[in-house]
Amino acid sequence: MGSFHAVFARPEQARTALARLASDGVSSDDIEMRSSAPLDHHLLPHGASVSSRVPWHALIGGILGGIAFFSMVKFTSEAYPLPTGGMPIVPLPTSGIITFEGMAIGAILMTVGTVLFECGLPGLRSVAGPLDHHLADDHVLITVQCGEDASTVWADGALETARS
Amino acid sequence: MASVATAAAEAAESRESEQVLVRPVTTFRPKLLLGSLLAGGVMGLLFYSWGYQIVNDIGVAGISRPNFWGFYIVNFVFWIGISHAGTLISAILRVTQAEWRRPVTRCAEAITTFALMIGGLFPLIHLGRPWVFWYMVPLPTSRGIWPNFRSPLMWDIMAISTYLLGSMLYLFLPMIPDMAILRDKTMKDAPGSLRTLFFRVLAMGWRGTPQQWHSLEAGIKAMAVIIIPVAISVHTIVSWDFAMAIQPMWHSAIFGPYFVVGAIYSGIAVLMVAMYLLRRGMGIGEYLSDKVFNNLGLLFLAFAMMWSYFTFAEHLTVWYGSEHAEMAVFNLRLYGPAAWVFWTMIVTNVVIPLLILPFPKGRSPLGTAIVGLGVLVGMWIERYLIVVNTLSLPRLDFTVGSYSPSWTELGILVGSAGMFVFLYFTFVQLIPIVSIWEVREGEHIRDHKAQTIIAGEEA
Amino acid sequence: MTRWGMAIDTDRCTGCGACVVACHAENNIQTVGEVEAGKGRAMHWLRIERYYEGEFPDIKVRFQPVLCQHCGSAPCEPVCPVYATYRTPEGLNAMVYSRCIGTRYCANNCPYTVRFFNWFEGEWPEPLERQWNPDVSVRPAGVMEKCTFCVQRIQDAEDIAQDEDRGVRDGEIRTACSQSCPAQAITFGDLEDPESRVSELERTERATRLLEDLSTDSSVIYLRGGR
Repeated sequence: MGSFHAVFARPEQARTALARLASDGVSSDDIEMRSSAPLDHHLLPHGASVSSRVPWHALIGGILGGIAFFSMVKFTSEAYPLPTGGMPIVPLPTSGIITFEGMAIGAILMTVGTVLFECGLPGLRSVAGPLDHHLADDHVLITVQCGEDASTVWADGALETARS
Repeated sequence: MASVATAAAEAAESRESEQVLVRPVTTFRPKLLLGSLLAGGVMGLLFYSWGYQIVNDIGVAGISRPNFWGFYIVNFVFWIGISHAGTLISAILRVTQAEWRRPVTRCAEAITTFALMIGGLFPLIHLGRPWVFWYMVPLPTSRGIWPNFRSPLMWDIMAISTYLLGSMLYLFLPMIPDMAILRDKTMKDAPGSLRTLFFRVLAMGWRGTPQQWHSLEAGIKAMAVIIIPVAISVHTIVSWDFAMAIQPMWHSAIFGPYFVVGAIYSGIAVLMVAMYLLRRGMGIGEYLSDKVFNNLGLLFLAFAMMWSYFTFAEHLTVWYGSEHAEMAVFNLRLYGPAAWVFWTMIVTNVVIPLLILPFPKGRSPLGTAIVGLGVLVGMWIERYLIVVNTLSLPRLDFTVGSYSPSWTELGILVGSAGMFVFLYFTFVQLIPIVSIWEVREGEHIRDHKAQTIIAGEEA
Repeated sequence: MTRWGMAIDTDRCTGCGACVVACHAENNIQTVGEVEAGKGRAMHWLRIERYYEGEFPDIKVRFQPVLCQHCGSAPCEPVCPVYATYRTPEGLNAMVYSRCIGTRYCANNCPYTVRFFNWFEGEWPEPLERQWNPDVSVRPAGVMEKCTFCVQRIQDAEDIAQDEDRGVRDGEIRTACSQSCPAQAITFGDLEDPESRVSELERTERATRLLEDLSTDSSVIYLRGGR
């Protein structure tokens, strides 16, 4: 099983190619579409879907971060309590400020972590293909995992094709 | 078929014009390198002055009693204020889906990150004993004592660290696809070079699949939403270094919003100057277009009006209340021997912007850059007046202060500007200053819209 | 509970400055020299403020010794990021030199301007270092300092009292300033003890506090208005 690469100049041509692949019954697991800029959300191999848990994770990160920072303030202040200026040892307004920053840090770290995880970054096992440089020119690259004798009619109209 | 052909021709044209974005980071540009080196020299002044101060004790600075804070705190607030440029552009304009922001996001976010790095140095520079700054870090120690989280300076540390971390990640995440574009380009042209390795490492194996784009864009959107309240909290907390003190003309409830507005104002000013210089120096007028300058100029005008409103409200309240200690500071500021400083600020921050920016010709690149330069000076003056006027006139007026900066303070101010220019010049030679994929995304969206219109007409 | 406090009789104060000198000697305060003093960096933990009232030839001079007020609700305390200043259970505003990192926020927030910063390390050319009080540390550069109500003398008296199984008697602790005043204008004692001299003075008609409108709850009472 090798790969067949085809580069298309415009996203519309890629859409046509994907439709042909769908009618040929090729599974979306064997199709990889790549582009240098986001394409139309509906431009996907048939049967594929994209999703992201980033908003939920950001929220959870925020809650955890807020709890962590509030705990830090509460327990460190009570561990060695030193009264200052007539204020309570753990004043709510000042602790609230630190808690807010904790929520922000938690949300930020969870967001970035989730993005890296969902994108599979760092992609240490990512292999460069023979036609990758076309991506730099804003073309769309479709790679299909298929045997030597599989039909490549779907790649008609491509700028360039290659096998690897 | 004709529409596809013209679209293809347009696409080829875009690739041509993109060369002006790609060439600075793929080829050696002696002028840019020279700029970096010169700025680096000026930056050396910062570190030399600081080193001198550490070795010879903080007394070499011009601060004294009662002016315990001087240039260093002014510079601190100034640089943190400038850092609000990026947040406004990248975050607020992303959240409001303003399409014209696309060419500007990265140069604005770079300003934010570097301004924060520089601003964050100043709390260390102004310490009497900087080698024990780590007392402020919540680490377990053998004495069992922790930092005092009731102090606004601790809030500063938490807020600025969060904002710096957030800004760096917010700059880095959208950089990944651009690094991939450059990686793919240079892998073909120069597979073994150091630049290619640099881009390959930073691209982190990015492939550009729809799932990756979806996750990345969800992440950028989330970061934009998170970073806006963080930015507002940062400058509010910096303002609370003053507002939490019971000193006349510091202890004002308006300081939080006032400083945030002032920060964004100074941030836009720096952005206008930086964009003008980038446009001239790198020939990217197609991306940093007149339309972008016009729109930013309108925002600039809005913030000029907001800042003027807050300044008026603050001073009216003090004057009307006529409280003894506050009036002493007020009179010093407006009518004292150095009142020209205050009135200069009014000219650069109120008069000139409101005379120039309301007119379309005034919102040209040169017009906004000139106004921006004036506003930068004016905003520095505003911070100076706030810090020095109040501290010069203690409530028990037997003690009177006057402040004049020493060469270390001046050197560190000049050196900090040099550091900013150095970091920026270096950045421009390593990373494309306009986000290539975001501009391409904008083109795709426009093409898609045009195609649906054409398809609708042909149907 | 003890709350240390002081009563200063401005009607008795002659402005002689003996208290200032005594304070310097007791607390190892550095003399900064002419140039630095010209920049406003003189370190007088206790200073005599001089106010003129009236026009010539009916001029009156008012002397007001000002020192750290050891406020109950001190504005300087919450703003220190490292707890270098806090309120002790006995009502003193403590200053912890080894903890101070020199942000100088406390000095900015003090409405009485009674905090002093060590801009440089003190210079004691031979043989002046022999006059150091061994009970008081010598502060390095970069550290804040201020009047401590002669905490070393308080500590000493409390130690002796504890050894003798009794409480500290009124008048047993004399701060350097109160000890040296020829007019006996400064009285030090326990404000919570209703029978102490300082408490009695607090209850007189002439008792006021400085900048009372700021509600700092200071421990120093000024007696004025007698003439």
